[in-house]
Amino acid sequence: MHDLTSYRRIRLLTGGVIPFVLAAALLAFARWSDPTWETGAQTAGICRELIAGTTEGRQALFGSCWVAPLPVLFYLPFAWLLPEPFAGGGAFLAAWLFVFWCVREALKSADPSGWRIAMVQAALAAWLMLGRNAEIMQVPAALTLGLMMLAAAGLAWWIERRKTRDIVSTAAAAAGLVLCGFPAFAPATLTVVCLPLAALGHRDTRKRFPAWLLLGGLPLVYAFSVWMLMNRLMLGDSLFFLRSLNYLMPEKLTIASPNYGQMFIIALFMPALILLPALILTWWKDSRAKNPGAGAVPAVAAMISLALAVAVYAHIFLVFSIDWPVMLLHATALAILFLTFGRLGRVWWLRIPALAVLAYFGSVWIKPAAVTVTDNRAEICRDVESYVNARTPYGRVFAMGYAGMDLLRGYEGERILPNLDLQLTALRRNYKGQNLYVLVPNPVGVNRAESVFWRYPDIYALGTDRLILRGTFGSWRLFELITAPTQEQLDEWKSP
Amino acid sequence: MTVVQNDVEQRLRDKEAIRAVDPLELAQKRPEWSASRPMTAVQKIMTLVVFAILIGAACLSPLLTAQGLIALCTVYYVILTFYKFIVIRASVSPTAIVRFSPEDIKAQEPREWPIFTILIPMYKEPEVIKQMLAALKAMDYPDDKKDVQFLLEADDTLTLDAARKLDLPPSFHVREIPDSFPRTKPKACNIGLHLARGKYLVIYDAEDLPEKDQLKKAVMAFEAVPENVACIQSRLNYYNPFQNILTRWFTAEYSAWFDLQLPGLAALNAVIPLGGTSNHFKTDILQRLMGWDAYNVTEDCDLGVRLGRAGYATRMLETTTWEEACSSLPFWIKQRTRWIKGYIQTWFVHMRNPFKLFRDLGAVNFFHYHMLIGGVIFSALANPIFWTMALIWVIFRPEGISQLFPGPIFAMGAGCLFLGNIVFTYVHIVGSCKRQRDSLMWWSLLTPIYWMMMSYSGWRAFIQFFRAPFVWEKTQHGLNKKN
Repeated sequence: MHDLTSYRRIRLLTGGVIPFVLAAALLAFARWSDPTWETGAQTAGICRELIAGTTEGRQALFGSCWVAPLPVLFYLPFAWLLPEPFAGGGAFLAAWLFVFWCVREALKSADPSGWRIAMVQAALAAWLMLGRNAEIMQVPAALTLGLMMLAAAGLAWWIERRKTRDIVSTAAAAAGLVLCGFPAFAPATLTVVCLPLAALGHRDTRKRFPAWLLLGGLPLVYAFSVWMLMNRLMLGDSLFFLRSLNYLMPEKLTIASPNYGQMFIIALFMPALILLPALILTWWKDSRAKNPGAGAVPAVAAMISLALAVAVYAHIFLVFSIDWPVMLLHATALAILFLTFGRLGRVWWLRIPALAVLAYFGSVWIKPAAVTVTDNRAEICRDVESYVNARTPYGRVFAMGYAGMDLLRGYEGERILPNLDLQLTALRRNYKGQNLYVLVPNPVGVNRAESVFWRYPDIYALGTDRLILRGTFGSWRLFELITAPTQEQLDEWKSP
Repeated sequence: MTVVQNDVEQRLRDKEAIRAVDPLELAQKRPEWSASRPMTAVQKIMTLVVFAILIGAACLSPLLTAQGLIALCTVYYVILTFYKFIVIRASVSPTAIVRFSPEDIKAQEPREWPIFTILIPMYKEPEVIKQMLAALKAMDYPDDKKDVQFLLEADDTLTLDAARKLDLPPSFHVREIPDSFPRTKPKACNIGLHLARGKYLVIYDAEDLPEKDQLKKAVMAFEAVPENVACIQSRLNYYNPFQNILTRWFTAEYSAWFDLQLPGLAALNAVIPLGGTSNHFKTDILQRLMGWDAYNVTEDCDLGVRLGRAGYATRMLETTTWEEACSSLPFWIKQRTRWIKGYIQTWFVHMRNPFKLFRDLGAVNFFHYHMLIGGVIFSALANPIFWTMALIWVIFRPEGISQLFPGPIFAMGAGCLFLGNIVFTYVHIVGSCKRQRDSLMWWSLLTPIYWMMMSYSGWRAFIQFFRAPFVWEKTQHGLNKKN
């Protein structure tokens, strides 16, 4: 009875009180350290459209592997029920509560006393404050971190003790990870692939390989399939959300390849090799064990290897000039290492390599974050609206892509509309008789993945057929779509 | 001659004892707890009022009404999905299942085991009675402490004859249940309950094969759990999973229900809809609760709720009773119809006074009640409507259906699509995996077809609830052997 009470007290502390305090502290710190920092980047704009019930909102929910559905669905109830900035604050708190809860879930079997869980939670929060990275302090990043920790810890437990619950939790976390965006695709897939492979060492579990394959892989495959299906239904192309991968041309080409997209995908498989030694160790230990389960050493080795693999993924992204997920992946690798430390009670000597890896990533992480210039959204919207109103009463401006949705987060007017996938012919047809403008974001960072840039690669610099530059607003450029006037317009102009 | 005379005398004594029992005691003394009236007048009026409001609203603003209804259903789906997730997660809790190893049992000996009453209601099942007797004899429990009662209907001469030909040990009895309305399993069980001599009592179906040490484990469990635990539910599973695709799906479903969901509910201290057999009770508590409701066709589910309302708890025991999965689709549909109809009966019985139910169960268990009992009914009835809409939308893409799902409802619907379907299918797969029946895992991928059959049975049950609420559609057993 005493044990149960103490178990409940620890559960309350590490699963409720401490996470809440730390999440609130993170929120307060983020607001204090940078008054311009705000939550809900990307997600809030999509939620606005979803709540309004627009087609753009529905398409945006599924239309990009960089702005994935899970964070949007997570943010949506807050955006629906609360006004900004409470919605953002609520979502932020909930997301980081989830992260610290994941720490507890990952470590609770290894640390019945709970103090190591609390230490890891506090260390993670402290590290996040030290890093002061605005991108990591967002809902999508928090969900990715939390789910990656669950997946890594689940894999480690699966290797150590081979219980059904471990493969299930890993599979579920991996499926969630896939829905968090492209940076998590490869680590999630890698984790899932390791699940059945890890069971090959022991004679009892080896023969159940197909069962582990199904149990471990189904949620991920299913999540991906549903995403494809929704793309087929919403955007007419099952792979629309992945198309940007083929067009993300490196700014500084370090790899000469006629097919950049394919090279990139192949490169993403390479870090799997890092896990091979840990797997071999698992097989070896498992084959000598009476009952399935390779024990703590291969489990910890797998966690360290996974952290390394995630870091290598970050490097691959960097090599291919996709720089925006790099800090997220570094943070993920760090979080896995923190968990590893939390599990090292019984395998103390593994602290040395773990500490070395941690120190390396720590040094990367502590580097001062690049200063990002953020546009004043309200000012841009107001200026664009004034500009268009001054020229025509029939003006309609389309803010392009996910950046456009983000731009319109607080916009109340009707002159500017979001547009996810620029189709000039359809615009002319649907808005016949109106003066149409296209507002294009600067193709830097994640904006490069917007469909408008793979349809019209030089649009920002040069415009395109029938699009004429009319002005620059912040980092945005306004183009006018030249169309022949309708008879009604000609008549109106003729009349005095 | 003396033996025959003794036998006749015994039978006469039994008949008199049975005649003295009122199997409908609950319906007569506490009619508000019985399904003898499927719906009260207030419930009927309320139902009509709700329908009238809906029809009125649909006439005034059909789109808004449809959107409102769909929004309600979607929110319920979302909650149900997360609820399922939480329950399954709770099933790994150390308090989910009471476990005893063979060494634990051995350590108990020598000891005085209490009398254990075993009720076996049967109807027209002469083919399985020998198997049942053999299983009971084989159970690792002192013979003189087994108070076995075969409960057979008076008009079931075939089974009665088969039973009388058996060589029964002295503590095994055949009880002849007089013909009266309603002819249900709980009515027979109530008679058995009144004649029970045991401190504990368990029900087995005719075709059941309980694990040999189950009774001992149940006694030890009762001694180990808190005093307010009145029922210990054993896990059920099937011994003929590979007979056909239906038994495969059915086994996967049972594995998920008894190995994951019920343990999860027990860990959450939730009110538990009991399984039809292998539930072990404290006899005195069961007698105080006046046994089973003879009018309820899922008397086990109803009893689970009544135990919860009376402040008693149920725990799961790590022991399995092997049953025969229904392998014939018509019989399966009848069985499932009866189960869902019973859930509808139970929901209406306990919702006669929702405030009292809330007070009795508490807020958390009130929520559990609506998720468990309401969820089964809702899913069975609402699923085909949403499947049809989804199918029409995928194939024809009409604008009308998109309008039915405004902004956040669309997102929630998408969330259900992402999460809901996989959670419900995956639970079956996990259940099969835990039972080490790996081939069933692959068949579980086809579970959506099984859901369609459940929905058909659900609508059949819904109609039957109004037209023939007390009809007990009997499940045919022994098909396994015939095949």
